[in-house]
Amino acid sequence: MTTLTLSNISLSYGSRQALRDVSLVVPSGSLVAILGPSGCGKTSLLMALAGLVSIDSGTITVGSRELSSAGHRVPPEQRGIGWVPQEASLFPHLSVGDNIGFSLPKGRRRTERVEELASLIGLQGFTDRAPGQLSGGQAQRVALARALAPAPDVLLLDEPFGALDSVLRHSLGRDVARILREQETTAIMVTHDREEALDLADFVAVMDNGRIVQVGTPLEIYESPATPWVASFVGDTVELEGTWKDDALNCQQCGAKDFCGPAENRLGCTGHVLCALGDVAATSQGAEPTSGDTVRVVVRPEWLVPSPSGISAKVRGVSYAGHDALVEFELTGHPERVRARIAAPFLPSVGQDFHLALRHPALVFPVEHHEGALA
Amino acid sequence: MPTTTASEHTPAPVAGVSRVGRPPAWLTTLAVLAVATVAIPLVYLGVRASEVPLSEVMVILSRPLVGELLLNTMGLSIAVSATAIAMGTVIATIVTRLRIGAARTWLLISALPLAVPSYLASYGWLVVVPSLNGFWPSWALLSAVTIPYVTLPVAAVLRGTSADGEAVARTLGLRPTQAFWRVTWPQVRPAAIAGGLLVFLYTLSDFGLVAMLRFQTLTWGVQQAYAASFDRSQAAVLALLLVVIAVIVVAAERGARGSLTRTTAIHSTKEPLSPVVRVFFTVVVALPPVVGVLIPLVGLAGRLAEATTLRSLNPQQLVQATTTTIGVSVAAAVVALLLALPLAALAARYTNRWIPTLEGAGYLSNGLPGIVVGLSLVFFSLSVLPALYQTVVVLVFAYAVLFMPKALGTARASIEGVSVDLINVARTLGASRFQAWWRVTVPLALPGIGIGALLVAITTMKELPATLLLRPIGSSTLATELWSRTAAGEFGAAAPYAAVLVLVAAIPAMILSGVRSVAKEEL
Repeated sequence: MTTLTLSNISLSYGSRQALRDVSLVVPSGSLVAILGPSGCGKTSLLMALAGLVSIDSGTITVGSRELSSAGHRVPPEQRGIGWVPQEASLFPHLSVGDNIGFSLPKGRRRTERVEELASLIGLQGFTDRAPGQLSGGQAQRVALARALAPAPDVLLLDEPFGALDSVLRHSLGRDVARILREQETTAIMVTHDREEALDLADFVAVMDNGRIVQVGTPLEIYESPATPWVASFVGDTVELEGTWKDDALNCQQCGAKDFCGPAENRLGCTGHVLCALGDVAATSQGAEPTSGDTVRVVVRPEWLVPSPSGISAKVRGVSYAGHDALVEFELTGHPERVRARIAAPFLPSVGQDFHLALRHPALVFPVEHHEGALA
Repeated sequence: MPTTTASEHTPAPVAGVSRVGRPPAWLTTLAVLAVATVAIPLVYLGVRASEVPLSEVMVILSRPLVGELLLNTMGLSIAVSATAIAMGTVIATIVTRLRIGAARTWLLISALPLAVPSYLASYGWLVVVPSLNGFWPSWALLSAVTIPYVTLPVAAVLRGTSADGEAVARTLGLRPTQAFWRVTWPQVRPAAIAGGLLVFLYTLSDFGLVAMLRFQTLTWGVQQAYAASFDRSQAAVLALLLVVIAVIVVAAERGARGSLTRTTAIHSTKEPLSPVVRVFFTVVVALPPVVGVLIPLVGLAGRLAEATTLRSLNPQQLVQATTTTIGVSVAAAVVALLLALPLAALAARYTNRWIPTLEGAGYLSNGLPGIVVGLSLVFFSLSVLPALYQTVVVLVFAYAVLFMPKALGTARASIEGVSVDLINVARTLGASRFQAWWRVTVPLALPGIGIGALLVAITTMKELPATLLLRPIGSSTLATELWSRTAAGEFGAAAPYAAVLVLVAAIPAMILSGVRSVAKEEL
């Protein structure tokens, strides 16, 4: 049992509070991504987990063993928590093999384990090299093998692919996630790259300003964000103003019917919202509004699709990205503009008339959330 | 030594974490002890000087000789610093911005005068032109020897700054000289002025060169007051006057270098030069090494080759002076390193309100003239430990006090250079605090710390004024032998000592300073 449990952790450096009442459970063997903007406290969280800093309150436990609490901290070398730092940080005076075997007692067993780990990361035959002779991706793999060598209960990865170019980053990320799953290692990966988090992790915890704002599967985080801030942090958004209506749902008439498939109301629609996109099915996030309330409506650009029977709009701008494009529309009869992600074969040109339909329930937030998220 | 300022204001979680921790008590205690040890003699000089009645101080200060010494000292220091700032900036610009060929080699060559003790340069010139004396030769030779203090930092800044700014200024209608003044000079000014203040300190502290060229400055005055009479009060007051000037200059230097920033090398294209212009610029760059290194060495070699020199040589005495020199230098390096290490570890790994102050106190003796430290230890040992007066113990201690800052600077930088991430990784891999230190910090920092110790040893070999005051009766070092023979006009007899000094001190220093400046460029 290597479930990692964080209960109500707080941490501050002098007057600056880095972590505020953070609670999180990482199930044994799973990979959790901590996603947040820089300075949100995610690195502080890793330092606290690794036992490199003390926490002011709360507890950190692995299985049934308490590692940190206020006034008590098991030193880093006795915690069984491995760490892959941001920039590999290989020991420059040791060979690749000695880096991997740093934590192991010298002897034949160590040589075997080093060889085994080197082949796990696909670098067999590299053990005699100096760290300086490795590419960025290779160095990062060695850092991973080095951290895995003592078979830690939990592994921490601090923006492990941050220094790499985007192609290498993608393939290495997949490799690392695969290795971690094969080894059944409980792991926490810190990142500010939303695609990396959504692609690799079993669960994503979104952090902002020292707090965990939302925890969920990548799908939950993306499709049911807890706040408009989370919605815009994990993906592109279109925001509109609307009026909430408690009308009974009519799934048969809904524009997103195909998306829900045979399981009716798969996305948990709770009502309708009247906005520039028409009268559309919606899920209210957080407190349920009362009918007639002004609400904040959030949809994702790819939820808007070309549809001859949809609402009419005029193309005002195209931001081309090859495989698709973000197209800016002016909706007929409304001052608001919306952006839709239109796949390449259907791209309109600027000034053209177009018809759009929403193929997903809109997300509805209370209006006051707006100020809170910006502050 | 540029200081980073940005990270100290807002402790970023990554870089800040390990520095927020509380330093272990034993480390703090050792560091405080080291600083106290270094500060004691200097404090004692103040005590000794304050014992002189104020009326006597006024009498001493109003002596015409003292006024003349002060005027000479300030005049020479200002003239040499101004020359070094102008020439150093010009040379650095030529080497980094113009296509004169073999730029890196020229940079190394222009650093060479750093390795030559000033009195060796004046000795070499006196061999060639025995009639040299007074202000102008002192000015010319000191300038040649000290120009690298400006050239190297300015070149480092220039290599890290894009030349595009000047190019842009040209496209906006400025002439080349205007573009330099309005775009490049503001960027290099902090480095040039900080270097210039170091030159000022060097000139202020210099004793051997001005004494050989019979130009009377304050350091000469201190030595005369101490050696020629028993007027210890006059020596103490003059020494204190030197301290006051040095402290003002050090404070100014701190202020100036605070604005230096770390830079990285940027490659920019250089325009080809016409052959005539190229030769002219090459001559300008070559001038200080030729005056400060080449001509003195040629003079020395010429005198060494003469038959009379060899006949007058006393091999036993030469061997004795050499072994004494090396012995005290190695001892000084060890003591200086022992004093510096706790303070370096403390300053590199922790920060709180008073650690910077403590570290600053460690650099206290950096700007002090050797003769002042020598004199203060004379007073200190005479009244506190009379049994040790004029023993090798006090001499080694004086060296350690004088040169500890050199070991401190390199040791601190070496320890700081070992990333905290590496230590943290080692901890998460099961290494205890001590194991992490032993398996990661020590192997990585050792080369740098070793170079620091070597620098202390080499600098000690060249030290003259403190050695003259403190050496045990009957024993001598290469520097004192060279000095006393030159002072007596025996240029030939001095030659073998000068040659050995070049061999044991100047050449390793050249190699080291070469290695170091190249290493700095590469980083």
